[in-house]
Order: sequence, then structure tokens, then C-alpha cells
Amino acid sequence: MDRNSSRHSESAARPEDLLKTFGASVFVLLVGLGVIFDATDRGSGFTTEALRRTEVAREPRQIPNFLLLDLDGKKDSLRRRLAADNRVRIIDFIYMRCRSVCSSLGSVYQQLQQRILERGLQGQVSLLSISFDPAHDDAAALQDYAARMRLSPAVWEAVSLASASDRQRLLDSFGIMVVPAPMGGFEHNAALHIVDARARLVRITDYDALDQALDAALAAKR
Amino acid sequence: MNRSILSKRATLTALAVTLPAFALSLPPMRSLIAQSMAWHMVIQMPLLVLGGWLSMRAIAHKRPSPWNQYGLTGFFAAQAIVAYWMLPLAIDRAVVLPQADLLKVVTLFACGLLLRHSFERSPALLQLFFVGYTVSMTTWLGIYFATTELRLCNVYSMEGQTEAGHGIVLLGLALGCAWLLSTIQRVQAQQRSRFA
Repeated sequence: MDRNSSRHSESAARPEDLLKTFGASVFVLLVGLGVIFDATDRGSGFTTEALRRTEVAREPRQIPNFLLLDLDGKKDSLRRRLAADNRVRIIDFIYMRCRSVCSSLGSVYQQLQQRILERGLQGQVSLLSISFDPAHDDAAALQDYAARMRLSPAVWEAVSLASASDRQRLLDSFGIMVVPAPMGGFEHNAALHIVDARARLVRITDYDALDQALDAALAAKR
Repeated sequence: MNRSILSKRATLTALAVTLPAFALSLPPMRSLIAQSMAWHMVIQMPLLVLGGWLSMRAIAHKRPSPWNQYGLTGFFAAQAIVAYWMLPLAIDRAVVLPQADLLKVVTLFACGLLLRHSFERSPALLQLFFVGYTVSMTTWLGIYFATTELRLCNVYSMEGQTEAGHGIVLLGLALGCAWLLSTIQRVQAQQRSRFA
């Protein structure tokens, strides 16, 4: 069988067949490159996360409304909360039991909180941490988190969802994917989300890019 | 007589690889590829390609193909398919969207069919070019997956990514070794038949 095949490969090809093959190869290459070019949004990103950020930077995304639960146990809608004081929010997603990336997100938020207070920006920018684990994170868990992270209420609020059934809708609307991690935790595409007072997601930055996030927030305020 | 037994065995081998590879995209086995990047990239994807390869071997028609002289078209198509499914965003989509997963199963199986079709028609030098390219691409990708601080797939954990990276490196090296061994064997067989 193998000997037959090698005889074929050694036999001289007819010129018109070579032309067919050459044409087909070029066609296949162009289609392949075209598909990859399209899938990567013209080569702008190779990961879902990079595409999500490019899309939002290109065109702000309207965030639907959600009923939130705060640490006093009060329920309030996201839209109303955003519109109430006309500030730009830097939003992150957390779950209170988290000890890995969320605790570094927590310390990033502590630094952001400090920087906002130092620069006196609390009238323009504020921080909002939303739990994506509403089944566990009730008002008591929020209070515990606020104490542990030393939240300054004028700058940084932590909230949960009033209704656990909203969880997937919330994650989808921002483009967050949560996967189970070892030891009963979660892993997710952590980032800083800049949302303006009209509930438009205008920018997404790396979760450790503090200055970039603050600049983007101030730019969205203007 | 002998030939028909051989092709029956080849068919069974092809089915034995292809069916599990397909089954990994269906419940209940789907949870394996949904939860583990290594199951997805190091086990299912190569099995799909191997399934296609073995299926084409079982069909075993060796007529010359005007559209695939020296296996060139098949190589380019296979390379494009593999390059697409190495994109982290494509891997995410295959886990999240069933239609993307179906596309993955079909195209990677076709990739195997094309590769076998092409290998039967290409000289060792051309094979070396494509195998060499694939091995270096795979190994580089594996090292990148295993060492980067960036979480590349939203659907998989960092730990899973490192694990898959190591697996991909091994896979690339194994692929290169397999090609080298089979080529040496073929050359030896050719020399024996020439001097016999």
C-alpha cells in the first residue's frame, strides 16, 4: 500500500493539474486567512477578552437594569443608583468567599479608593463591586466584606443581586464568564469596567491598570 | 481476500478513534472538554484529526488527484483549520456555542482526511516542510500556554491552561517523532525493494 502511494508522489504531474492544485491552494489559503482575519476582528485580538474590550471601546454597550441589594438590606435598581449622583462608576465583579484574584482585585480597589480620595475625585468617580454569587452573598456577607476591605462609603460600595436568577443575565450583559475553580471557588475574566451615569459600559481595562481606569472614568465624565 | 481483511481492520480502527472523539462533544462526556482544556486541546482535537486520518486510510483510494498534486491543497487547508482552532477565542466559542463545537468536530475531522490524502501524494521533502512548521507552531503555542501570565481562555482556569500547555508541547514533539520514524521506515522499505 505504501509503495503504491510513493509511486504516485514520484510520478510527474501534468501541468494543467499543477495549475488546478495551485489555484485550489491559493483559494484555500485566502479563505483560511479571511476566516481568521474576521474571527479576530481584523487581527485586533486573539482572545475573547481582548475582543470584548475592543468592542466596548469602539461602541459603548448599554447595560440592562438590575435590582441590587446593598449592605443595609435595601433593594435599589442599578440604573437609579447610577443616575442618582451622576458619577462614573468603576465596576468589578466579585464573590465574597473569594481569596485569589478577587482579593487582589480587592487590594486594587483599596488603592483606587485611596487615590480617588487623595485627588478629591469622589464627586466624579466612584467604585462599585457587584457580587456574582447572590446565593451566598447577602447583606451580612456584604457588611463583612465592607469591614474587611475598609470600604469608604462615599467612594466604594459593594452590592449583591436582589434576585439570584438575575446572575447569568448580569454576567452576559458585561461579557463575564465564570468557571468553577479548585476548592469550590470561581475563576472569571477579572477587569475594571467603566460605566457612565447613563448605564453605558464605555471602557474595560486590566484589573491592575489603576491610572488607566481612572483616566478613562474621568474622560467618560466629561 | 487479504486486502479486504486489512481494510476491515482499518475501518474498525478508524471507528474506534473517531467515535470517542465525536462522543466527547456530546453529553455526558462533553463535561470533560467543557471543564478541562487538556481534554479539549490535547485529547479531543488530536483524536478528531487522527480519526479523519484513519478514516481516509480505510477508504484507501490512491488515484491521483488533479486538485491535490503533491498534497499541496490539503496541507494548506489542514494548516488553516489547525491555525483557527488554536485561537483562544475559537476554543472559547467551541465550549460555549454548540454550533461552533459542531463546526470544530467537522473541520478537524476533515483536516485529518485531508492530511492523509495529502501525505499519500507528497514527497518527503514537502512533508518535512509542513510537519516541521506544525511541530514548531505547536511547541511554541504549548510553551506560551504553559508560561504566560495571561488567562487566554475565558472558559478555562489558569491551572488548566498551564496543564494543557505542557500537553501541547508533548503532542508537538510526539508528532515530529512519529513522522520521523515512519519516514525512516518508508525509506528503508524502499531501499530494500530497490536492492531486492
